[in-house]
Amino acid sequence: MTSVILETSSASLRRNFWRGVWRVMKRKPSRMAGVLILIGFAFMATAGPLFYPDNLPRDVNNTYGPMTWEHPFGTDGQGKDVLAQVVTGSQYVLLSALVTALITVVLGTAIGLFSGFKRGRWDTVLMRLTDMKLTIPGLPLLLVLSTVWKFGSAVEMGLVLGLLNWGTVARAVRSQTLSLRERGFIEAARGLGLSTGHIIGKELLPTMAPYIAMNMLISVTGAVYAQVGLFFLGVLPYEADNWGVMLNLAVFGGGAMTTAAALPYLLAPLLAILLLTLGIVLVVDAMDEIFNPRLREE
Amino acid sequence: MITGTGITKTFRQRGHVLGGQTVQALRGVDFAIPKGGAASFIGESGCGKTTLGRIIAGLESWDAGEITIDGAAMSPLKPKARQPYFRRIQMIHQDPYSALNPTRTIHQTLHAPLKLRARQTGRSAAWVEERAAEVLTLVGLDPGAVLGRYPHQLSGGMRQRVVIARALTVDPEMLVADEAVSMIDVSLRLGILGLLKDLRERLGVSVLFITHDVATARYIGDDGELYVIYRGQVVEHGRVDTVISEPVHPYTQALLSAIPVLHGLEEPGAQPVVPAGGPEAAVDDAGCLFAARCPFRTERCLAERPTLQVTAGVPQEHACFHPERRSVVARPLAEV
Amino acid sequence: MTAVRIDGLTVVYKTPLGELPAVRDVSLELPAGSITGIVGESGSGKSTLALSLLNAVQPPGRIAAGSVEIGGLGDIVGLKGERLRQARGAKIGYVFQAAQNSLNPLKTVGKQLLDLGRSHGVADLRALVREARELLGRMGMDGARVLDSYQHELSGGMRQRVGIMLALVLNAHVVVLDEPTTALDMITQATILKIIREIHAERGLTTLVITHDIGVVAEVADRLAVMYGGRLVEQGPTREVLASPRHPYTRGLIRAIPRLTGDIGLAQALPGRPPTLATVPREGCVFRERCPLRMEVCESVDPPSAAYGERLVACHATAMAGATREETA
Repeated sequence: MTSVILETSSASLRRNFWRGVWRVMKRKPSRMAGVLILIGFAFMATAGPLFYPDNLPRDVNNTYGPMTWEHPFGTDGQGKDVLAQVVTGSQYVLLSALVTALITVVLGTAIGLFSGFKRGRWDTVLMRLTDMKLTIPGLPLLLVLSTVWKFGSAVEMGLVLGLLNWGTVARAVRSQTLSLRERGFIEAARGLGLSTGHIIGKELLPTMAPYIAMNMLISVTGAVYAQVGLFFLGVLPYEADNWGVMLNLAVFGGGAMTTAAALPYLLAPLLAILLLTLGIVLVVDAMDEIFNPRLREE
Repeated sequence: MITGTGITKTFRQRGHVLGGQTVQALRGVDFAIPKGGAASFIGESGCGKTTLGRIIAGLESWDAGEITIDGAAMSPLKPKARQPYFRRIQMIHQDPYSALNPTRTIHQTLHAPLKLRARQTGRSAAWVEERAAEVLTLVGLDPGAVLGRYPHQLSGGMRQRVVIARALTVDPEMLVADEAVSMIDVSLRLGILGLLKDLRERLGVSVLFITHDVATARYIGDDGELYVIYRGQVVEHGRVDTVISEPVHPYTQALLSAIPVLHGLEEPGAQPVVPAGGPEAAVDDAGCLFAARCPFRTERCLAERPTLQVTAGVPQEHACFHPERRSVVARPLAEV
Repeated sequence: MTAVRIDGLTVVYKTPLGELPAVRDVSLELPAGSITGIVGESGSGKSTLALSLLNAVQPPGRIAAGSVEIGGLGDIVGLKGERLRQARGAKIGYVFQAAQNSLNPLKTVGKQLLDLGRSHGVADLRALVREARELLGRMGMDGARVLDSYQHELSGGMRQRVGIMLALVLNAHVVVLDEPTTALDMITQATILKIIREIHAERGLTTLVITHDIGVVAEVADRLAVMYGGRLVEQGPTREVLASPRHPYTRGLIRAIPRLTGDIGLAQALPGRPPTLATVPREGCVFRERCPLRMEVCESVDPPSAAYGERLVACHATAMAGATREETA
């Protein structure tokens, strides 16, 4: 009997879970590629800036330089290495995207779950609030906000984008909750007298995990586009080293759309965004199998 | 002892802002299920039997009437105060696939209610583990082989056993089994029915069985009571064996006549009763609810609605102006 | 005359464990004008067998061996593309499970009927609608009203009748009904079974009913075939099989049906559980794990189908008992 209890302890369950995740990842090479890309970006954002000095060296004799071994993506209008800028700029982009995703998911899931599970008056109030929030156009609001707020730190940026974005997740999680709460096992849990905390945390949340994880990853890409877009439009000051700022300078400063010289400068941040999106899309594909024990174990 | 008197329930059809159509799911139903007893609700889909079962299990509210659990009336109590009573009545769902959380192992599924139970009764964590193994053994499963599994790794029959084991974790007084075997492989159904009967005998748990298949109702226990429900009204009520062998209400007779005959092994009953039209043919007027489909209706049936009562010479209660015993059930010719 | 001849049919599914057979070496004849019932539990391969009749097994499954000869059509396993599509519907009608919502929820029944007619190149759509209305009327429904209805406006029993109408309206002579009464209650089931029987006789159809419920087969079918683990273990005239089942699985299955009369104690569940694609034995008898008559030979040798009069039974124990009986006689 004791061996059974030991075998099913939560520690071994967790170990089995990670073993299952590994199995799911190995199933398709594309997933491994996705994971490698994401690990690469994480490394770039955390350790990348350590390889470069705080102020990147300028070379006025080599502005908009061509692609060479020394400068794989050429140089910018001040002769700074483009690759180095992409690497150092990634920290701001990724950190703010992560903050956005966290806020979106935590807020959206919490409100969606609560609303769907409690139903009745709470549901009505929260969903009207969500609808109101959804009708506020994001970009114009951001433009207005940027006139008074400089978004100096990545966390601030992420916070604002997160607070603007949770609505869709909340709506989606609510509808999932509404359909799940009619399922036998939720009804049984209520009949057994289990607490609402248990039902939401242990029964509903794990069932929706793939859904939430997917939303989280997708909102990361959304957040990257949003802030890169803001910087590109130039509504935010050039204070931060940023992919969006690079795009802006390449197009409006270097004339990348008309001359070939600044093209690498334009392509480098674009490539980074593309690669990040690709990595996320490849990993999202595995989410369903990771959180569904049936698909995971087989 | 669980009793209900005059339970009514009306559903308002959704999608209509102003009132809209209403459906009378239950029209004043009385029932009594003694401790350790067995009862079955029989009827077509949509007759209200499932609604009644859900009300009894505390999963649905009712409009009027009274439910008493061990002598305590439920209507005056606030929802919170009703909970401990209704916890003594556990529902076994029809679909063993959706009744278990696919992301949790059987161990986790049993652990949660047992831990709650241990906290309430001041028992130790070791008791929780012991009891988990115990309830699985009670339902005929090997704890060592099942505890660490996920639901998808078990067959339908095993899953339904786990569902029953989970209900047993709170030491219920009654199990409400809603079509509990209809989604289980034919060769395994009797095993589940036998288990429910066994739990009744060994633990004294009473069983309420809800089904459209009268034959399965017999297997919970021949001392059980049968409530035949038609459009929210009990139309016949008596001991299982009496009602099956000598039904008096034409609807009960139609239900029993509809059960397939195993030609070669059985011969059809002498007087099969075939109703006219499906349930959609029914109309709601002053007369008997079954009149529109009844092959034996008279003028009186169209004008007046019969109530459940006992009449001379009929051992069971019925709601029919012309109760007549008919032999409709197939007779066995040989044993397999 | 034989309307459908299934010969040595094997259907495999691709799984991580390799290709596993869902139907293995099944031979079955459907005499013209007969109703045959196939009974089996989940995982017995009965639905796969039914789909093979339309050559409609979906990947990862495929028909690996055998043939399905359909009268006036030839081997359907070899048909492809347009010819196969024309055969479905016009020659073979398929009625999907009542439980499934096989009707399009966004279109009225009439619209779907016209779509069906157009895709089969029916020239006279008016006649098609008239035919449909007649069929629906024949089944006790108001044809015009039903054609104007959406799926959600129909009850389970009505949907099932619409399914039968759509399967028959193009004059198919072979009809496959997959679980025609699952999820319907008893009275509706009895009505549907009666309709199946009557329409079958009126139109001179060859009908195949797939079900898990022996009672359904007992009510409608002339011939009964029992499937287990992808194999056909017993087949013969329904009354004969029911009255004296020869395969231990058939016997167990009949004994496991809850009945209204008779001694409760006599009915018993079959021990064990039905096999799945992965757990069905690769060699030897597929039923031996649950069999009370298990012998050594069952472990290694797949019992061949042996004929006993009109009956075919695949069981070593039955074969031995038959042999001894002949010797003593």
